[in-house]
Amino acid sequence: MNQYIMPGSQRTLLFSGMALGLLCLVLSWFVGADEFHTRFWTNLLHNTVFFTGISFIALFFICVCITAWAGWYTLFKRVWEAFSLFMIFGFIIMIIIGIGNYLGYHHLYHWNDPASIETDKIINHKSGFLNKGVYLFGGLFVMAVWYLFARKLRSLSLAEGRDGDASFSYHHTARVWAAAFLPFAGFSSAFIIWQWVMSLDAHWYSTMFAWYSGASWFVSMICLTLLVLIYLKSKGYYEQVTGEHIHDLGKFLFAFSIFWTYLWFSQFMLIWYANIGEETVYFRHRMDNYPVLFYGNLLINFVFPFFVLMRNDTKRKFGSVGIVATIVLFGHWWDYFLMIKPGALHTAHELMGAGHGHGHDDAHGAVEHAAHFVSGFTLPGLIEIGVFIGFLSAFLYVVYNRLASAPLVSERDPYLAESIHHHV
Amino acid sequence: MTIRDKKVIYGLYNDEQDLLKAVKVAKGAHMDILDVFSPFPVHGLDPLLELEESRLHIAGFIYGMIGALTAFLGMTWIFTKDWPIIFGGKPYWSVPAFIPITFETMVLFASIGMVVTFYTVCGLGPGVTNPTLDDRLTDDKFAIAFDASHVDAGDVESFFAKTGAAEVNTKIL
Repeated sequence: MNQYIMPGSQRTLLFSGMALGLLCLVLSWFVGADEFHTRFWTNLLHNTVFFTGISFIALFFICVCITAWAGWYTLFKRVWEAFSLFMIFGFIIMIIIGIGNYLGYHHLYHWNDPASIETDKIINHKSGFLNKGVYLFGGLFVMAVWYLFARKLRSLSLAEGRDGDASFSYHHTARVWAAAFLPFAGFSSAFIIWQWVMSLDAHWYSTMFAWYSGASWFVSMICLTLLVLIYLKSKGYYEQVTGEHIHDLGKFLFAFSIFWTYLWFSQFMLIWYANIGEETVYFRHRMDNYPVLFYGNLLINFVFPFFVLMRNDTKRKFGSVGIVATIVLFGHWWDYFLMIKPGALHTAHELMGAGHGHGHDDAHGAVEHAAHFVSGFTLPGLIEIGVFIGFLSAFLYVVYNRLASAPLVSERDPYLAESIHHHV
Repeated sequence: MTIRDKKVIYGLYNDEQDLLKAVKVAKGAHMDILDVFSPFPVHGLDPLLELEESRLHIAGFIYGMIGALTAFLGMTWIFTKDWPIIFGGKPYWSVPAFIPITFETMVLFASIGMVVTFYTVCGLGPGVTNPTLDDRLTDDKFAIAFDASHVDAGDVESFFAKTGAAEVNTKIL
């Protein structure tokens, strides 16, 4: 079975998931506690950033593997290609958010508030980089390049599967494109994450943030790959994908969970030790007002996968690795929740508290305000879970749709034999 | 594994695939293989020989835990009871500052503990000379060895001839 056919029941399930997500998204417009509809906009931004990032990292990792002459992943490389093609839908939503930001329809970003640019020294100082023009048009440029590469590598892969020959000309071309993408992706992903997420806490910055959030995307991408592969295998596809491939993916999940923790801790400890006000504000706010999210983040994304995946056999068994992948995928969604929600809520309170704009000195009132439980911010509510399910369904629908549009295994890939005989 | 005063009959193979096939044949004929030697780990050899999974990593986990606890509890005792010092206005019991040292000590204990355990189990150590079967086994040859007192010499010779051994030797270790 080299051709995936999407069953009707799956289509129905995923469309119901999407409908649920849409319903919850609309609900979050109305049940939000503030006049800016921050709950709606943060839900939209949070899930879009999370799933677009997974899509981007899939493309990035295909390029890494091609450049590194890796062969183990070749059997299921179409799964990652399908992941990378979700990108365009994420970009459409990001462009909507960008236009909303440009026209002032929402108040996600403190740096976009005209009064704050006037009176707030730090925001004023950063306004050369953090402004609505760079956000929209810079983002548009990066997204266009990413999508160009995603399309190009996909079309090369398809062409190779169709009429590749012993000269491996398609693979050679793909190597050039992959190598060209890596440096661009490295710098542009930092630009994107600073603009989209880090600038939500406009006064704060961290030079480790791009790595930290990128590691989070990577772990999520591996989790989704495992879950999709286990699902497809349970339906009888991908007979040649064995415990050996799952083992390698499990090792990536294990190793990058630790890598994520390493970055999280490095970022935290340096800021904690230096104790500089403009840096500690990020963690102080989260530790005091979001303790469940803050400490739960470490438990779910480090302690749990570390101890469960430490053994050899738990990385190989579909059951154990599947359970870990499910929980850690949710864990990194939770991680992005913690990156995005507190900053946006703080901005909303600050802007509302002083009738659209005042200096940074008055921020104390806003911090105290945030100490109260705010549904959909302090903890993910049912609406947030619903939106997550909606986005996950949309992501999986695009993935299965793209998988169905091409053979599951690229028969003429030069590394196919290596992948089939992969043994760890 | 230590072998002492044993007459060993062994065949040398030029290729790992020949070796794997020969081991399969020997298993099929219920021949009692003493050991198999190769210059590098051969994929698929362990399950063929029905070797048990090494327990070295369990020992490593325990050493690591001991190391982590030693460092963490040690620093806790030093900085809260024995000699409290304020660093940069931080509390005495500053957990984030302990993490890097705890991690390093865990790695140190686990690595040294595993090396010592491995050497002890294998009978290795300074001043120990272990007899070698054939010097070329560290270079490009593969060997299947039989204990000459457990097998019939004729059977073994015909087995080696059949499975394409390049050379058959006997040695007393």
